[in-house]
Amino acid sequence: MRFNPAMKRYNWHVGWLSLLYAAFLLAAVYGFRHHLFSGPGAYVAAVLPALPIIGIFGAMGRYLVEEQDEYVRMLMVRQSLWASGFALSLATIWGFLESFGLVGHIDAYYVAVVWFGGLGVGACMNKLTLGAPVGC
Amino acid sequence: MFAAKWNDFTPAQRAHTRRVLWLLLIYAIVLPPLVWLRATTSVAGYVPAAMAVVASLPVLGIFASWGRYLSDENDEYHQALTLRRIAIATNATMGAAVVWGFLQAFGVMPLFEAYWVPFVWVVMQGAFGCMAVFSRDRAGA
Repeated sequence: MRFNPAMKRYNWHVGWLSLLYAAFLLAAVYGFRHHLFSGPGAYVAAVLPALPIIGIFGAMGRYLVEEQDEYVRMLMVRQSLWASGFALSLATIWGFLESFGLVGHIDAYYVAVVWFGGLGVGACMNKLTLGAPVGC
Repeated sequence: MFAAKWNDFTPAQRAHTRRVLWLLLIYAIVLPPLVWLRATTSVAGYVPAAMAVVASLPVLGIFASWGRYLSDENDEYHQALTLRRIAIATNATMGAAVVWGFLQAFGVMPLFEAYWVPFVWVVMQGAFGCMAVFSRDRAGA
């Protein structure tokens, strides 16, 4: 598959942000496990691994703005809409199951994890409904 | 004032608003008895899980209504505005969920029910919608 400049930039950003995420996460886990953080420092250390993931959402937004190929952009927009619907729907169902005491609480970042999984659902829907040449 | 705003809506926006209002009405009717049943009776097996899923169905309907609105909307400008609003609300909500999730994971913030994430998303949609209406009014004034 040949990447256009916008896709290359997006992959580049996501690659760097993923490395940053791994570094921050390892440092935070090590710090909390060895009780190195307390007070406001603990909040900062906990938020640091979240920042690269927020950056990935930002990179996706930037990609949508920079993508010149309207068809490819439309596919990506559809894919993210499916991902949003999928993640928010699962969060709603899980929330009510928690509320009725049937399942345990989960950390909120799992909603974002499901959102990234939902991109796969969106790719499959693009393939099924438009025959788009996207891996599914 | 409300009638004037309603007339400004496109047919797809009117249909979406009607669907959402009906779904909110169903939600308001269905949720209290389910919560009351869960709190006062000792139903077991699959029934509580079914009750939880039934409570979430109107909210899922609202998400589906957004999807249908986007495919029904013929006005490309309104469609683009809605897509932009959804993208901003989704990014902001997911960002908040990720930050809060790590604060929970490292034990500095309490756990909460996952439906607060979609709640934040809906509130952001509403906030951006109101901002759009008021900024349009200001531009027209």
